[in-house]
Order: sequence, then C-alpha cells, then structure tokens
Amino acid sequence: MADLFANYEHGKFYDEMFAAPGKARPHYRRLYERFGLMENMAELMDRQRTADQTFIDRGVTFTVYSDNAGTEKIFPFDLLPRIIPSHEWAHLERGLIQRMQALNLFLADIYGPQRILTEGIVPREMIETSKNFRKELVGCKIARDLYVHINGSDMIRDEAGLYSVLEDNLRTPSGVSYVLENRQVMKRVFPGLLRDYRVRPVENYTNDLLNLLLHLAPAHVPEPTVVLLTPGVYNSAYFEHSFLARQMGIEIVEGSDLVVENDKVYMRRTSGLSPVHVIYRRIDDDFLDPTVFNPKSLLGVPGLFNAYKKGNVALCNPIGTGVADDKAVYYYVPKMIKFYLGEDPILPNIETFLSGNEDERSYILANLPKLVVKSVNEAGGYGMLVGPHSTQQQIEEFRAKIIAHPRNFIAQPTIGLSRCPSVIEGGTIEGRHIDFRPYILNGETIKIMPGGLTRVALRKGSLVVNSSQGGGSKDTWVLNDDITNPPVPVPEKIIV
Amino acid sequence: MLSRVANLVYWMARQLERAENTARIVDVNAQLVLDLQSRQAADDPKSWEPLVYVTGDDEKFFELYGETVTERAVTEFMLFDKRNPSSLISCVGLARENARCIRDQLSSEVWETLNTFYLKLKSDDYTRYAQLGSAEYLNRVKTQIQLFYGVAESMIPRTGLWWFFLLGRYLERADNTSRILDVKYYMLLPDIHAVGSALDMVQWASVLRSCSAFEAFRRSRRGQLNLERVVDYLVRDDVFPRSILFSIGEAEQALGQITADAIHLEDTEPARLIRELRAELEMIDVPSVIADGLHEFLDDIQIKIFYIHNAIQATFVDYDTATARIQA
Repeated sequence: MADLFANYEHGKFYDEMFAAPGKARPHYRRLYERFGLMENMAELMDRQRTADQTFIDRGVTFTVYSDNAGTEKIFPFDLLPRIIPSHEWAHLERGLIQRMQALNLFLADIYGPQRILTEGIVPREMIETSKNFRKELVGCKIARDLYVHINGSDMIRDEAGLYSVLEDNLRTPSGVSYVLENRQVMKRVFPGLLRDYRVRPVENYTNDLLNLLLHLAPAHVPEPTVVLLTPGVYNSAYFEHSFLARQMGIEIVEGSDLVVENDKVYMRRTSGLSPVHVIYRRIDDDFLDPTVFNPKSLLGVPGLFNAYKKGNVALCNPIGTGVADDKAVYYYVPKMIKFYLGEDPILPNIETFLSGNEDERSYILANLPKLVVKSVNEAGGYGMLVGPHSTQQQIEEFRAKIIAHPRNFIAQPTIGLSRCPSVIEGGTIEGRHIDFRPYILNGETIKIMPGGLTRVALRKGSLVVNSSQGGGSKDTWVLNDDITNPPVPVPEKIIV
Repeated sequence: MLSRVANLVYWMARQLERAENTARIVDVNAQLVLDLQSRQAADDPKSWEPLVYVTGDDEKFFELYGETVTERAVTEFMLFDKRNPSSLISCVGLARENARCIRDQLSSEVWETLNTFYLKLKSDDYTRYAQLGSAEYLNRVKTQIQLFYGVAESMIPRTGLWWFFLLGRYLERADNTSRILDVKYYMLLPDIHAVGSALDMVQWASVLRSCSAFEAFRRSRRGQLNLERVVDYLVRDDVFPRSILFSIGEAEQALGQITADAIHLEDTEPARLIRELRAELEMIDVPSVIADGLHEFLDDIQIKIFYIHNAIQATFVDYDTATARIQA
C-alpha cells in the first residue's frame, strides 16, 4: 500500500511531525505507524466527520462579528494532534513560569513604587501613554499581592523549531474551553491512541481556576461566592464563559445581574440580593464600571470600581493588567526578567521594532513589505498588516498610520510558523501553520495546564491562525514521559 | 437563582409549550378537514380561519398573507413563518436561544436535545411538511418536544430552575387550552339547528383531540359529546393534565416551591392572583358560563393569566433593588 504521506509537501518550515520526508519525529512515530498508509484516509475522514458532528451537537460555537451581524460558527477542529514531548514541555513550563513571575512583579511595581521606571529600564512615557494603564490604581492594595492571575501567552516555533513568545494576553485570554472540549472529542475519536501515548490530562484546569478564584476572596468571608461576568450571549466567547461557569459550578452573570450598594456587590436573585465576593470577569476594564471608565458601556456595573478599591470584591484578572500586554511593552519583557529576577529569559521574544523609537521607525518604514505590523492594543488578528501578503495599497495605508501615531505600532519580521499535518477537505493531508497558547494560572502557586490551544491556519499558506480569520484548532498532547523518545519498539498492532 | 435566569427558563418553557400546542392545533385541524364532507373543504377558508383567530395573531396574518385564507397560508404562518413570533419555528428558535443563554444551568443532554431539534427544524418548510404529510410531520415535532420534556424531567434538579420551568409551562398551557376551546367559537355551524348535528360532534371531537383529551374524556365522562360536557372537562377537570384548572393548580404548586425558601415572598401578589383564579375555576357553574358567553369567559381567563404573569415579573425579576431584601 502507498504511504499516505508520499505526496506530503515539507516546505521550508519546521514540520512538527517529520524531520525529513518519510522520517517521522520520534514522538510522532506511533501516529505515523497507525495511520501512515493510504488505506487509512477514509477512516481518518470518517473520524473527522464524527468529530465535526460532535462539536455541532454539543453547540461548541463562537460568534463572528464581521460576518453578517454575529453568526454562530463551529470552531473548525483538525483531527491530527500536535504532540509535545515531555522534555520540550519541561522547557516551556520553566520559561512560562519565569515570564509570569516577571510580569507579576512588573505590574506590582508600576502600580506601586515604579522602580523600573525610575531606573529607566522601561521608559516612563511608554507606560503613561499606554491606554491600558490605570493610574487610578497606583498605590492601591490588591488581593494577595497578585497583580495578574491568568496569562495566555501566544507562542510560535520558527523555521529552526525554536519556541518563542509572540505576545502575552493578560486581560481576558480566551480559548481554554476549546482545549477542554477538543480533548473530550479526541477521547471519543482516538481512545486507544491517547492511552498508548500516555497523554497528560488537561481536565484539572477548571478545578485549578476555581481554587485560584477562591484564593482571591476577601479574607473574612468563610464561604465566598464566585461569579463569572460575561458581556452576554452575543459575545464571541460566550460559549466559553458558559462552559467554564458550568464546569466550576458558579453563576454566570451579566452586568445587569449585579448591583452595588454601600460599596458591596450583590447579584439579583429571585429571592432578593445576595453578596458576591470574587468576579471572574470576561469583559475588558473599559466596560467594567460606566461611572469610572467608558460611560457609554451598558455591560458594566455602576460602582464596581469603588467596591474593588475597597477590597470588598476581587476581580480576576485585576484591573490594569492590559498595560503589560501592550505590544510595545512586550518589547521590554526580557529586560523585566533580567531586572526583577536577575535571570536570562528562558523563552525569547520575537525580534521586535518599536515605531515609537525613531531609528527603529525608519527601519520599519523602509521594510514594510517584509514585516508584520501590529497595532499595540488590538487582539484577534485585527489591526494587523502582514507585509509579504499585502497589496501596495494596504502597505501605504499602514505607512500613513504609523507616521501619524508611532506609539501605536510595532513591527516584527515575518516568521515562518512551524507546520503540522492537517486533514484537508477532499481527503488529503497537508502541512498547515500553527501556533500555541498555553494557559498560566498565578494563584497560591503558578500552575500551567499541560497542554493548551494549538491554533491552525487552515487556509493554504495562511499565517493567520485567529478563529475570526479562518483558523481552527488541534488537540495538543503533552506526553507524560519520553517513552517515545528515544522510540520504543511499536507493538505490531495498536488497537485504536 | 438569578432573576435573569429565572426569567429565561420561564420563557423557554412558555415558548416550548406554545410550540407544542401550535403543532397540535394544526395537526387536528388538518385531520378535521379530512373528516369534513367534501374534498373541497381543504381549501375552504372556513376550515382554516378559526386557527388564525384563536392564536390572537389574526392582524399579523392578514397583513402578511392578505385576505385569502388557504390551508397553505395558515400552515406556513403557524409553523414556518419566522415573521410570526408565535409560529412553531419562532417559538422553538426563541426557546433554544433562551436555553443558550442559560446553558451553564442546563445539563448537556437537556441543551443538546433542544439544540438538535432546533437545527433540524430550522431548515424545514411547507414543502417538506407537505412531502411527509401533516400527520407524520407534526408527530415528529411533537415527539421531539416530548423528548425534551422527558430529558428535562429526568435531568433538571428540583431547584428554582425547575419550578420556574413548570410555572412557565403550566401558565402557558392554561392559556393555550383556553384558546383551543375558543376555536369552536369561530367554527361556524351552518345554522342554529346544526347544534348537536354530526358536524357539531366532529368539531367538538377535534377540540378535544387538540388537547389529546378525546380518549381521556371518553373514559371519564360517559355519554354524549356536547358543549357543556367538553367545557366542563377542559376547564375544570381536576385530574386531566391539560385542563385549565389542573394547569393553574400545577402553576400554583410550582410557585409555592419557588417561595418555599424565600418566606418573605410567600403570599405576595402572584400567589394571591393565582389562588383567586383557581378558586374561581373550581366554583364556576358551567351552564351559566355558557349562557353568559363562553368566549367572554375564556377571554377573561386569558387576561387573568396575563396579570399573574405580570405579578411574577414584578416580584421575582424586575423588582426595585433599593427596597429588595439582602440575604446573609
């Protein structure tokens, strides 16, 4: 029988599965042996269909705004997993813990003594002009001295297979529900393979998250009430909000469900008002409290800011974390690690140019067709220019924007993201670019779910993995040990 | 439970109950038409007009379909027209939307049952309905709704969520049964002497069938089908689960469960209004109700159910937070 991967095109990118044509990396060998023959394609397509139908039945959807006023869509799922061997994971874990420690110290510092600004490591002006810096909170005491609780760093691998951090998401990183649902579906579709591979479970995430939230409650409350605050059912991530609330057994509330009386927060129940102590909020700072931030917001809770400042309610993430995931501030994270921890960064940043720095700006303007330009405060792949894939007109539009508002942009070289084999409609397997978002929780200790969201750019050649831009996801398998590396003899028959 | 959630589950139940009754009314009328004398009756406006009036949506219907009442127009309007907020498809869509808003409260099976039903129904239209035949098609729809009730019944914990679900379902059922009974008001008989005729019988039987009450009626009330007996059965039978009295009694009990752990809300406006309506239904004298005008009596019940609905909203959902009780 023919090799299923005989026509697989390797390209000049780092391939997660193959070290060379026909030569699977050790941790992919079992998968290759199991499905490597052409005759398996029909079975793979069958399993892909089963998986797709399961997502539809389970209502695992997100909402796309640009697409005719909020259509519900299934987040496309690709059957072939991304596999991370345990030694690689150990490295990632060390690097992510280090990064979380530094970011927490940085936020504690800029909302406190501001040493890093005084010593000129990070320019004061950069922080003070960040639209997510909340100067109202400087000097304000915060629950357990935890200035950031959840980070979903976006990571990529370059042509050489080197992992680096593309950006941090310290406000309301989303996607974790897909990680958990993907695994549920994989358990149905590939039970044997999961067992044989000794994949580490991701299940504990919601439990860890709930413990973190309870840890934040005001100290005097014996049985704190935790709620999840959502912008509502029309938000693109509503499925996730409701999923997490359900998994944690907490109420999901909208702004209109909460009221503040005497600087205390209550929710409206059928039997009257009942107190709330911790809010896992999935809405941005700007919309939290219309009396302090955006007065036009209908999503928020008037008076919430004061209740928070008085320590009567904890917010997760805290207010003001966005200043540290400003893409211009990102540039300084390696310096923060050095400054606060006295260590070299374990995980590097992508080479980044700030258009706010004059000499770097002229480099950016001279090299736009080669660079990726990002607006510093946008997420979801919006407000972005991918130079090599853009028209002259798009490039000129960005040039004008950069000149008008240099503080608002950064540029990075176009990275050829690593690729992973993916099942393509029509029944072939082709390499598609992927990235990776692990979820880091900072509570009593720092915990990282062994796994994360691998997003895949399903459009051929595309480097944009965002769900709003045609991306899908894959299950991410972090292996329990390196039994497959070096490889052990694979049993004749693996029952899947 | 959260006021917003209570409201959503209450409406979800009402919409599903309405969807079910709409399917029943269309089903029974389609069968009734077959029982009538001639084949032409299928397109006789008189055969389908009553349905338009009974839902209270007649203005909307005439606006959308003009003055000619055909079987196809009525069926499309009542089952598949998204512009009609009470159509089967609208009701199921709204119920599913509400369920989506409270997904975290519903078990996955409950949600998936409704979601799957909606996704199948969504692309249906009159052509599909005609292809399968009304009986077969509507049977499937009713089975799906019953399936949902079954899953909900065995999955939803008996907390506020469940009691608000029952409250909504039984208030809607009481209202719908009163409307189904009212269909007969609009079904014209050729002349006054036709009272008690074969046609009259067929019509009463169809009213009972709309409530799946025909066989139950036959078992519990011996003798002839006539106005008085059918009214008595559908208004105030105390064991038949679709009678108005039974439904109001169930709603009253659900309300009692809701206020069981909120003593300060016991015996407030909703409880008082619902108790008054139940007492009134228990006491009525059917012959004099008929003498004074059944249609007016049924109208009055619908208005009272509406007041109960308003009181529920004001007590549990839209209350003033400044004066609300704060729980420990």
